[in-house]
Amino acid sequence: MSQSAATSGTTPAPPASANPANAVPRPTRRGFLRTGGMLSVSSLMGTAMLMTASNDAKAAVEWAETFQKNYRLMTEQERQEARLRLEKRYSAEYDKKVSVDIAGPQPGVLMGYALNIRKCIGCRRCVHACVAENNQSRGERPGERIEWIQVLRMERGEFTKERMDQGYPEGLGIQVGGNAYTPAGVQLEGQYQYNPETVPEKDATYMPIACMQCEKPPCVKVCPVRTTYREADGPVVIDYNWCIGCKMCMNACPYWARRFNLTTPVLPKKDMNPVTHYLGNRPRMRGVVEKCHWCLQRTRHGRYPACVEVCPVGARKFGNLLDPESEVSKVLARKNVFRLKVELNTFPKFFYFYD
Amino acid sequence: MLLRFVSDYARYVLKGGPRFYAWMGALSLLILGMLFVFYLQNTEGLIVTGMTSQIHDGLYLANLVFLVGVAAGAVTIVFPAYVYHHEGMHKVTVLGEMLAISAVIMVMVFVFAHMGRPDRLWHMIPPWGIYSFSSMLGWDVLVLNGYLFLNAVVGFWYLYAKYSGKPVRKGLFMALVYVSIVWALSIHTVTAFLLATNPSRPMWFHSMMPIRFIATAFAAGPALIIIAFLVVRKNTKFWVDDSAIQLLATIVTWCLGIALFLTLSEIVVELYARTEHANGLYYLMFGLHGLTALVPWFWSAVVLMVLSFVLLLIPAVRNDMNKLPWVCAMAFAGIWIEKGMGLIVPGFIPSPIGEVTEYHPTIFEWMMVLGIWAFGFFILTILLKGAIGILLGEVRFGGQPAAVGAE
Amino acid sequence: MKRLLIPAAVLGLSGAVWLSVVAQDKAAEAAAAAPAEAKEVVCFESRQGATEVTQRELSPGLLNVKCSPTTGAALWYGDPYDGTVPMGKMPNMDLPEDQAVVKPRTEKLSQLAACGTACHNGTYPKGFPTSNKPVPIPTMEALVPELKDFQHGRGAIWCLDCHHNTQRNKFSDHFGNPISMDQPQQLCGKCHGDKLRDWRDGIHGKRIGDFTSTGKKRWFTCSECHNPHNVQHGETSRGFKPLQPEPPPQLPRGMADASHEKLHPITH
Repeated sequence: MSQSAATSGTTPAPPASANPANAVPRPTRRGFLRTGGMLSVSSLMGTAMLMTASNDAKAAVEWAETFQKNYRLMTEQERQEARLRLEKRYSAEYDKKVSVDIAGPQPGVLMGYALNIRKCIGCRRCVHACVAENNQSRGERPGERIEWIQVLRMERGEFTKERMDQGYPEGLGIQVGGNAYTPAGVQLEGQYQYNPETVPEKDATYMPIACMQCEKPPCVKVCPVRTTYREADGPVVIDYNWCIGCKMCMNACPYWARRFNLTTPVLPKKDMNPVTHYLGNRPRMRGVVEKCHWCLQRTRHGRYPACVEVCPVGARKFGNLLDPESEVSKVLARKNVFRLKVELNTFPKFFYFYD
Repeated sequence: MLLRFVSDYARYVLKGGPRFYAWMGALSLLILGMLFVFYLQNTEGLIVTGMTSQIHDGLYLANLVFLVGVAAGAVTIVFPAYVYHHEGMHKVTVLGEMLAISAVIMVMVFVFAHMGRPDRLWHMIPPWGIYSFSSMLGWDVLVLNGYLFLNAVVGFWYLYAKYSGKPVRKGLFMALVYVSIVWALSIHTVTAFLLATNPSRPMWFHSMMPIRFIATAFAAGPALIIIAFLVVRKNTKFWVDDSAIQLLATIVTWCLGIALFLTLSEIVVELYARTEHANGLYYLMFGLHGLTALVPWFWSAVVLMVLSFVLLLIPAVRNDMNKLPWVCAMAFAGIWIEKGMGLIVPGFIPSPIGEVTEYHPTIFEWMMVLGIWAFGFFILTILLKGAIGILLGEVRFGGQPAAVGAE
Repeated sequence: MKRLLIPAAVLGLSGAVWLSVVAQDKAAEAAAAAPAEAKEVVCFESRQGATEVTQRELSPGLLNVKCSPTTGAALWYGDPYDGTVPMGKMPNMDLPEDQAVVKPRTEKLSQLAACGTACHNGTYPKGFPTSNKPVPIPTMEALVPELKDFQHGRGAIWCLDCHHNTQRNKFSDHFGNPISMDQPQQLCGKCHGDKLRDWRDGIHGKRIGDFTSTGKKRWFTCSECHNPHNVQHGETSRGFKPLQPEPPPQLPRGMADASHEKLHPITH
């Protein structure tokens, strides 16, 4: 701010305000805005610091959980710490004593599953048993209710006169084939929202689909942070604290086995199952992927998964593939077995059979 | 010296008339909308969008994939300029690099928008995180960051050389330029691989994806660049040579033609046998089970692309600088629709186990999309303005803006 | 004024960025506590009327069974062995004591005690048929209404092929030896041998508990799923009475209803 000094003869006395000794800051708009801005910024920053530092211990635990390692790479000590943090957090959140198990794969066990599609009646109890066991989100808004099993309804398809003579099913193209089309066994146009009075319906068959726990999982290959991986005893698991929610695994899964938490899971306290496993049914958080893991909290201690226990017609079988006496090994030995989408070379350990 | 460069650059950018500030102000409003939706997504989650577990890649991934193509399209300037020594292109190369930088930044912001947990992205960076060599997304992140770095280095090195008056050291600079040319092809190829290596998605699981992506990238990218150049001609004193624009128009024409050919061949191959693998394409073209939300989008994209291709074939249109931007906008819009609505969303319909659902983006999703595009254009404007100032000689080391420089 | 506009805008923008980045998760909604249920909750496992379980708390917070609010089905077992007794010795099944348990059927049969004493006290009642021809008895048909149209075997078997002729609270094998109603598999396997073989290996039927081949399991016995007096659903349901299904999955956002699933390209 240069002041042009008057150079001609009679210099008028400079105004009093020009005297530095008399310098009084004149209120200017610029000055006001500057001080106002400084004040609000500093108070905002102060408030922010106060808010974040409200509970030092809680903040420290949250910090530790936010920056913990990938579970696979943790030492035993780190896993214990992680489990204790989670137990504390879940117990406070759900008002009950929650246990987070970190049991690893048992030696000599390779879990396998077999489902008898001749028996399935499409009652969906497996779907709801899974939800009762595994702490999925269950809200009312679309996207808040997650179920890991989906039951496909396929029509039996008869060759009746009314259905003939309709031409190609999609009505497109030059007709070279016949007219006798039936939807028997069609899977990719199946129905999932069926809701009849009773099941099984006369003209339908049913096939539940969930994670196939592939031996060569496409989801594991595409995960950029290796948060999903195949455990030594068979199931494909997810470290929910490490998942970044990129959904590449959901792209890659050919069986639509994976679900996404679009929002903070809605899980009422009374419905929460307090017996959890770190890689299994512990409550998840917003923005991470989840899926069936063969009830690790049960199977790592030798118990059947929830879906197997509830099936009212005994269509579901589970056991140790490495044990020739297990029911699954016997199914493979004795029954006619197939897998879904076997041409994709995923080598699922979930087998379908019929007898 | 470097600091002077930055401050001179910034000071030049900030000097602008009311139209400039109106443009930036409008973009800022949209950017605020984007920040608001980011806040919503970080608190409520992605439930504020129209995404579901069935269709879990929506507008964000669509725009992301499209913008990777636009970023790769910058190579259509760099390649003729440096390999074929095209004089007209050589003068404007750095502007293309600025566009590439803004496009890649847009891609990265869309990645943040698309993720469930953007606060955990550090999980991808070793040594604190894990980098998985088998994951195409990991490779995509790597090549995108590399491309950003390359373009930033090459572009700003060139600008800095012009600013300081010192010539560029040819050896390293040219090496980086050649690397960036190849790298541009790689970013869109890896993005195509991201989708095409999923046998679970039959609509994407074919080897035509990478070439189709490159073809549409080299049609959409230059189309946008042409429009940008014509805007630059109109609003600044910088004159982009006719030869540059015409070469770009030729590239757009032929790449659009290749893209149309590939689309046609896909339609013929899929619909000849009409297996269940063609369900996604059938949904897009005609609807499935009575659900037809995307049908109008597909056919309008076809009309836009075919019409713009035919018009571009006509020299009278291609060389007319009044008609050209409109045709380029048509091509750009057509490819945007075809890449987004026409490729990403139908890949999920039906789901791998046959569930047919539809995707309806919410207002928040559109706000985010517009906001990120606004953010990209914001950055583009800043970069282009500064670059033009340097190219014009108005921003020079050791001098106030030259006398001819006006606002 | 313009000089301040830029820094103010930058400050505002960075503040907004900071806010959007450090925003905390919306707190999970706490559901209101459900009012205390005075009525007891009863659900059924496989066969309505024969496999009822009453919900009760085994220990604080652990229920023995969780029931479906829509269909009354048992959905989840807190303790798979709750209410079970050892299966007892079974021919061709070499299981250690206590490794196989079953839920006793005898407790569920409301008229079992009466059968053994009220009318049939171990001797032949008056008017006992001298040939193998079933004679309709109004009392029996009133007690067990399904007998009106008895289809099991399609006319090739009758009551005393399964039920013991003097000890009416037992089944009978071909030699006249009594079989406990808690071991119906010994009876059913007489004719359905392939099913028995599969049942012994765990392929047919149901077992819950420990999945290892040497683990303790609760075995579901034949009559817990099948009603031998009513096999009319044999063609489609293989002996089961059709059940009410659980509700369908939630419709994803963007779908108003599921009517599109009924529209096939293959027209109906």
